[in-house]
Amino acid sequence: MTMFHFLNCAILTFGPHAVYYSATPLSIILTSFLQQIRLVCLATFLKVSESDSFDPYQVLFVQSLSGIVESFDWVRRCCGLYFALTQLTHRNISQNHKFQAVGLGWAFADSVLHRLAPLWVGARGLEFTWDFVLQGLEANANLVLCLSLAALGSLIWLRKNKPKTLIPIIYACAGIVATMPSITSYLKRGLGWHFPKVVGFELFTSLVMAFISWQLFTACQRPSN
Amino acid sequence: MFVEPVYSSLITLLIIVVACAELCDAVTVVDVYRLVQYDLGGVPLGSRLAALSHHAGSSLYLSSAGAAADLSRTVLILPVRELNLTFIRDYIGQRKPLGGLLLLLPPVFSPQHSDSGGGADQDSAKDLVKEVLIEVERLLIHANIPYPVYFGFEDEAVHAMLGDVKKNDITGQPATATTGGQSEPGHPSPSDQRPPLGNFNNYASKVQQSPLDSLLCVRLSDEPIAFGYQRWALIGRRCGPWLRRRAAKSYKLVVAAPEPRKVASPAIINIQGWLPGLKADGDSNQLPTIAIVASYDTFGAAPALSVGSDSNGSGVVALLEIARLFSILYSNPKTRGRYNLLFVLTSGGPYNYNGTHKWLRSMDQRLRETIDYAICLNSIGSSSNELWLHVSKPPENAYIKQIFEGFSTVSEELGLKVGLKHKKINISNPRESQMLSFICLALRTGYVPICMVWEHEQFSLRVTAATLSELSVAPDFLESTGGLSDNRNFINEASISRSVKLVAESLARHIYGQQGKSIDIFADHSSLSINPSYIRSWVEFLSTTPRVAPFLSKNDPLIVALKKELADHTVEVNVQQELLDGMFTFYDSTSGRLHIYQVASVTFDLILLLVLASYLIVLFSFLVILTRVISMLADYVFEQGLDDLISLFRRPSSRKVKTA
Repeated sequence: MTMFHFLNCAILTFGPHAVYYSATPLSIILTSFLQQIRLVCLATFLKVSESDSFDPYQVLFVQSLSGIVESFDWVRRCCGLYFALTQLTHRNISQNHKFQAVGLGWAFADSVLHRLAPLWVGARGLEFTWDFVLQGLEANANLVLCLSLAALGSLIWLRKNKPKTLIPIIYACAGIVATMPSITSYLKRGLGWHFPKVVGFELFTSLVMAFISWQLFTACQRPSN
Repeated sequence: MFVEPVYSSLITLLIIVVACAELCDAVTVVDVYRLVQYDLGGVPLGSRLAALSHHAGSSLYLSSAGAAADLSRTVLILPVRELNLTFIRDYIGQRKPLGGLLLLLPPVFSPQHSDSGGGADQDSAKDLVKEVLIEVERLLIHANIPYPVYFGFEDEAVHAMLGDVKKNDITGQPATATTGGQSEPGHPSPSDQRPPLGNFNNYASKVQQSPLDSLLCVRLSDEPIAFGYQRWALIGRRCGPWLRRRAAKSYKLVVAAPEPRKVASPAIINIQGWLPGLKADGDSNQLPTIAIVASYDTFGAAPALSVGSDSNGSGVVALLEIARLFSILYSNPKTRGRYNLLFVLTSGGPYNYNGTHKWLRSMDQRLRETIDYAICLNSIGSSSNELWLHVSKPPENAYIKQIFEGFSTVSEELGLKVGLKHKKINISNPRESQMLSFICLALRTGYVPICMVWEHEQFSLRVTAATLSELSVAPDFLESTGGLSDNRNFINEASISRSVKLVAESLARHIYGQQGKSIDIFADHSSLSINPSYIRSWVEFLSTTPRVAPFLSKNDPLIVALKKELADHTVEVNVQQELLDGMFTFYDSTSGRLHIYQVASVTFDLILLLVLASYLIVLFSFLVILTRVISMLADYVFEQGLDDLISLFRRPSSRKVKTA
């Protein structure tokens, strides 16, 4: 029943994206959604190809160098997000829903590129491992993180009238969420955490950051007095 | 516009990933060796299948599930160390169906393993396992087994897997109505902890036995909700072990082997080396010849493991060393004897010395008449001090007396004991085909025949021949032919050296007419001393080379090496290639790679699917509530402004104020 296991893991990895897409009123943005996917694919593909070529060097060089490489990675993510949020114009989507579409598109593209190929190759084999179920959970955490990042990004760049006290908190949270991949890879390689532990940490932090960004978002809804 | 390069690079990346990841699939890959498959006069024997793809089971599964166990889709893994002989005798004798059989041998029986010694108790354990192994081998060779049988060696990975399989088999008892599942050692049995009906408060702590139970089936709450609580707890007690068992991983063993095919023309290759003696000038008579014969091929339960260090690797090594010593002597015309020497390495030994028979038949009549006598070497490598000289001619015969006296004199000097054993050739069945049909009949009726054959009997009574062996009784058909338990760790090189000295010295004294005189031709520390490192290197080479005749071709490295070695020591080397007797048909596919996969059961996948479906449904409803409400709120606030929202809520009161 290896195909079965592949289906299970695929549902776990991509199901939440589909559910989110169908649950939220984003159905009107199909064309713009595809546009975003394309851009996100490009940005993510560049990220993937670059990080692959840096992999052999990471083994040889000091851990700090790998940290520097990955800091380029989040800079690229932020740039891509910025362009996605500000440059792409949509016909009849409100500002608030834009971030959800961007975040969802980003997370979906990320999942497809990073997780579909290993899933297709690995989960179909006879051998059973928990790795692919954990990968699915990681995809869920990634979705939540991308949505938080998109929300915070939209707060930073699209909302002009923000309460002054909240601005540094917004930037700090955006920074944390954007550097989350570097943090998890440091935990994996630097501290040597096992995969289940890392996934648990990711889930926990994603929920915490989502809650914080939700609070910030609703706080910014109230016009400053 | 820039979509195409992106997608094409993505596709290439995917292809690369797929190609690389195909290589690592199984958790463990082990080399295994298949039981021999052969037909004897049309009767199929040995293991008839090669491909294997079933779940792993241990002997505990059989004992726990009892007689009702259906093992036709299970591979039984049985370590030979713990093997129960009566069990396996019943199983094979009664032809019970089985998915496959994997016998695990201790590492000391591996041809690559070099024994580091060990104490006396290790030796006795080794001997015990050896006896069990000989018995098992005999059972398997003479039975028709319709499922694949493989031999493997114990190592950590296989040990770990077997431990897991045993644990699963212990807890794998089907749940009965009363117990609700077999209790694991260390866990309290659920039925023991069923409290009386009114005692709910204690229930909560006792029922939570495993995280799986508490997660899925048991709802813990401090306030007992009478009937519902009890029902949940009951479900939990039943669910827990059942779930644990279903979720427990089982192992699947896969050997991907093609259908075994017949070996097309199984060849018997005899290699003979001729060392001519010194012919006196003017002497037109043919010099007498002495032949030294040893069969080099083996037969065993696992052809890929049949290295036959003692049977008959020791004989081959002794023959080569004797050839080397006499080549030194014969290289100089002054020390060349007046006997020709013929060194013959024959094949087809286990098959009633087929090779020797064919070699004799094809030999030149005149040459055959010049053979004074022939010595056959068979199994002279074990560490006992006693050797036997087996003869077919009666001991009163003058030739036999002379040969035996020669051997006795030398053996006394060496501290060996040589006995004489006389066994008549069975003349009532002179023809080979008659003998083999007798064997077929006997096998079909299940009775293992006692046909005692020595190599020297092939020479029949025309040529005086004897066999020197450590065995006092002729081995049975296909027995002592270099099976699983015959490897380097069970032979003694010093014994081989001693036997070489015995034969060489006796022969030399006979050749040079020095019988009765106390002379040590092959003395130690002389240029003619026995070379122990030569013996050791050849023993090592032969102990790592399986030598089952049908699988050896003329260009096999072994044949080439033997031919070259004889060519170094003798003047003329002839290689004779014949077809193995039609009574025997062999099948290939003698080894394979066993892939061990950890697989999860179907139920586990179903449970996972249910969990995921419920998770997605919960997520969907949560998101609908959250986003619709929030977006409604946010849109309203964004478009209308907060004051309007507040005024919306204040309108009734303001109206009230107004009216008031």
